[in-house]
Amino acid sequence: MGESKRASELLPGTLDMLILRALIGGPMHGYGIASRLRQVSDDVLQVGESSLYPALQRLLLNGWVKAEWGASENNRRARFYSLTATGKKQLVLEREEFARMVEAIQKVLSMA
Amino acid sequence: MSAPISSWLARAGRRVRFRWQRDRLDRELREELAFHLAQIQAEDNGAGLARFGSSTLAHEQCRDLWSFMSLERFWQDLRYAMRMYARTPVFTGVSILSLALGIGGNAAMLSLINTLLVRPLPYSQPERLLRITGIFPRAALPFFQTRSHSMEIAAVSVGSSFNLTGEGSALRVTGSFVSPNFLSVLGAYAEIGRSFRPGEELPGSDSVVILSHGLWRERFAADPGILGRVIQLDGAGRQVVGIMPDGFAYPSSQVQLWVPMRLDPARFAEYWGTEFVPLLGRLQPGASLAEAQAESRSLVTQFRGTFPYPMARDWNADSTVIPLQRDIVGEVRGKLIILLSSVALVLLIACANVASLLLSRATTRRRELALRAALGAGKARIVRQLLTESVGLALAGAGLGVLVGSGALSIFKSLLPASMPGMAQAAIDWQVVLAVSVLAVATGLASGLAPALSASQVDLAETIRTGGQRASSGFWSRVRGLIVAGEVALTLVLLVSAGLLLRSLAKLSSVDLGFDPARVLAVQISPNPVFCAGKTGCLALYDRLLERAAAIPGVRDAAAANSVPLDGQVPTVPVDVEDHPRTVDHPSPMLWFGAVSPEYFRVLNVSLLGGRYLTRADSLQSAPVALISASAARHFWPNQSAIGKHIRPSSRQAWSTIVGVVADVRHYTLSQGLPGFVPGAIYMPYAQSAGENGQMPTAMTLLASVHSDDARTRNALQRLAEAQDPNLPVGRVRPAEEIVSGSIADFRSTMRVFLGFALAGIVLASVGIYGLMSYWVSQRAYEIGLRVAIGATRTRILALILGQGMKITAYGVIGGILVAVVLTRFLAAFLYQVEATDLLTFAVVVALVTAVAAIATAFPAWRATRIDPVKSLRAD
Repeated sequence: MGESKRASELLPGTLDMLILRALIGGPMHGYGIASRLRQVSDDVLQVGESSLYPALQRLLLNGWVKAEWGASENNRRARFYSLTATGKKQLVLEREEFARMVEAIQKVLSMA
Repeated sequence: MSAPISSWLARAGRRVRFRWQRDRLDRELREELAFHLAQIQAEDNGAGLARFGSSTLAHEQCRDLWSFMSLERFWQDLRYAMRMYARTPVFTGVSILSLALGIGGNAAMLSLINTLLVRPLPYSQPERLLRITGIFPRAALPFFQTRSHSMEIAAVSVGSSFNLTGEGSALRVTGSFVSPNFLSVLGAYAEIGRSFRPGEELPGSDSVVILSHGLWRERFAADPGILGRVIQLDGAGRQVVGIMPDGFAYPSSQVQLWVPMRLDPARFAEYWGTEFVPLLGRLQPGASLAEAQAESRSLVTQFRGTFPYPMARDWNADSTVIPLQRDIVGEVRGKLIILLSSVALVLLIACANVASLLLSRATTRRRELALRAALGAGKARIVRQLLTESVGLALAGAGLGVLVGSGALSIFKSLLPASMPGMAQAAIDWQVVLAVSVLAVATGLASGLAPALSASQVDLAETIRTGGQRASSGFWSRVRGLIVAGEVALTLVLLVSAGLLLRSLAKLSSVDLGFDPARVLAVQISPNPVFCAGKTGCLALYDRLLERAAAIPGVRDAAAANSVPLDGQVPTVPVDVEDHPRTVDHPSPMLWFGAVSPEYFRVLNVSLLGGRYLTRADSLQSAPVALISASAARHFWPNQSAIGKHIRPSSRQAWSTIVGVVADVRHYTLSQGLPGFVPGAIYMPYAQSAGENGQMPTAMTLLASVHSDDARTRNALQRLAEAQDPNLPVGRVRPAEEIVSGSIADFRSTMRVFLGFALAGIVLASVGIYGLMSYWVSQRAYEIGLRVAIGATRTRILALILGQGMKITAYGVIGGILVAVVLTRFLAAFLYQVEATDLLTFAVVVALVTAVAAIATAFPAWRATRIDPVKSLRAD
């Protein structure tokens, strides 16, 4: 349970950004997004469905992603999410914001 | 994040679509989650990607996203509130009714205040309209008009009676004399036709008239062809030049036509005397109110010096310039404010009552609320639930209140002078409904806040364990006691006001009128002035009428007089009095003027204090004589007999000898007798009442004393009067007693309204006390059972509960007395021979309130004595 705690302790709003980033490579379904985030982060970021799916709905509502039903690798019906144009813009915005934030946090942590 | 409005709109649009397709979205999400779980198991055999969180939670959160949660919750609260209302119909009914009463009264008051005080006058640039206070002779108009730089000035007389003949049956109408510029000064326009032209005030060109919309519709069937036609007013032809639009009501809604005010210095009496008129003005561009005031003051002083007869040095000394709107509202302002405050008091009482009922219910619902809290409802959610309930109650009350309000409005209107311009326009319109809704929400919040807060302070464990019965906090009980005490106090204020008015009314009803209106019938007959210009024609008419009236079976005696006591007319005349020469400091005194046939005193039973009554022998040819009233005799000759002295109306050469002194009659109002500026009355034989120009008083009232007031006699009188001449307007036959009681009709209705308020207040307050004490008893059932079990007698229990109720009442009564002493002063203007702090009224009201409170407490107290200790101790 320790690691799930870490996932839920993501900085607020970062999950949306991570999902948007994951979708840059092309459409993915929910499970795909979760496994990709886990793989890339060396198992640090483990996103459960109770935060993932509400986040996806939120992105849909904001018009940053769109969803289409298609067939998965093992030929099951799955919903694939892809970035919209505004979603791409949003990702750029959030990355800048995040970088600023990280820089600020770094400064605080490394103060003499 | 400040998103641009377009993206916000797009999001809102998507949200609406999501809300609409919720079922499909739900299905899809379910499928998606199932796929997710299957995927986990397939790929890692359930080991690798551990499951985080729950799908139910995911589902819940998504659903929240798709819907307008706040709105949904509101509906839920509302549905819940509805169930609550249905479960407690008596509570709901009492609450809604009391709120309807308070809110309805306020709705009516709001519409009146909005129409009369707030809404600007319906003329162009109404804020520039002014009134020069005081009244002025016609001569003042050209004087002011030529000299004023800050105002354009017009004159509009209050209104006098005209005979309209030749258009169906003869009609008595009210017309106002106006300067030709009155419409342009007011900023109003004729609906069809034109306004008066400059020059139409000159003798010879003034035979024109403008009609009101109402008169045009009723008498002339709204025929536009009337323009240019000549109609007969007081026997003289006047050409109709214009019709005013519907709703135009200046100077009052009683005025049905306007005629030019003739300016003819050659007619001395008309130009300088008879009827003084109000002046109004429109501020010139660039001028200020202060300038107009200064200018008007200096003009009044200058004008005072131009009177051709001695005028008092302080004549119109306090004249100033005020906004026209304030002038129109002037006298009713006080009444409106008193009405508004009492209506507000009733609303406060209603609020307090609902708050107190809600408080007690909130406490009995502790267990239910605790359960909801235990199931996860937040404190804010519970407060909101309870507020929804109380606001819902208030809104229902407001709905009913709008109905109550339209009823109340017609009652309030009857309390104010019916002729107020714009009064007819007062109605419950959307503005009022809007204000009432706001008021209702505020009321709901105000009455629900304390109970909701008290209910939200629920100690879960404690409440569920003890069953919520004895866990009420002392603080909220005290708040409730305070609210009920406040209710008692407010009720006391209303009752005292009603009581003071009631006592005034009793005093007024038993006042010595100076005459006996019993079994006297009156009917007004008003020939044209032209008809009475020759004395003999008029005299013959009335002599004939009196003779025939006396011959009607059932009629004992008949008389004619220029006015009947208390009929609303104010016939006064300036007089010269022997021993009292006119000076600048003592101008001609005014007396009430009675032109009467000798039978007048017999018919009205006015007693003779000295000398003799008038007789038939006092005729046109005999020596002029007069009677004066006791107060006039005292005023002029305090130390000697008035009989044999001489007196005359100022416009006459011949002196009349005073041959008798009669008792004072209440001519003007029941409370005042005569207007303040009139020290007494003078009565002259009708035959000798012609003025210097030979003009007799024309409008006379035929009075008949009858054996019994039955329909047959009335009809006979009515027919007799109408049979004289088709050109003779005849009023309705009315009993003199009706005229007397009519003169205090508005006082009586004011009293009734207060009484109504007070009764509503006392009913509400007793419900409040009853509710509080019942609740108190049910809360202490355990304690009382214990007391009984250890030997307390029933009387002790009774005393305990009664004492508790009386304590709260006593606080309320003391507070109420203090408030009433402060507030009833404002009522003083309406009281008659009763002090605003009348001890008797206060004592009776205190006794009444205490008695009602005791009765309201007695029921729960009696129930407390029936408590069976075995049951109550075992209950929890």
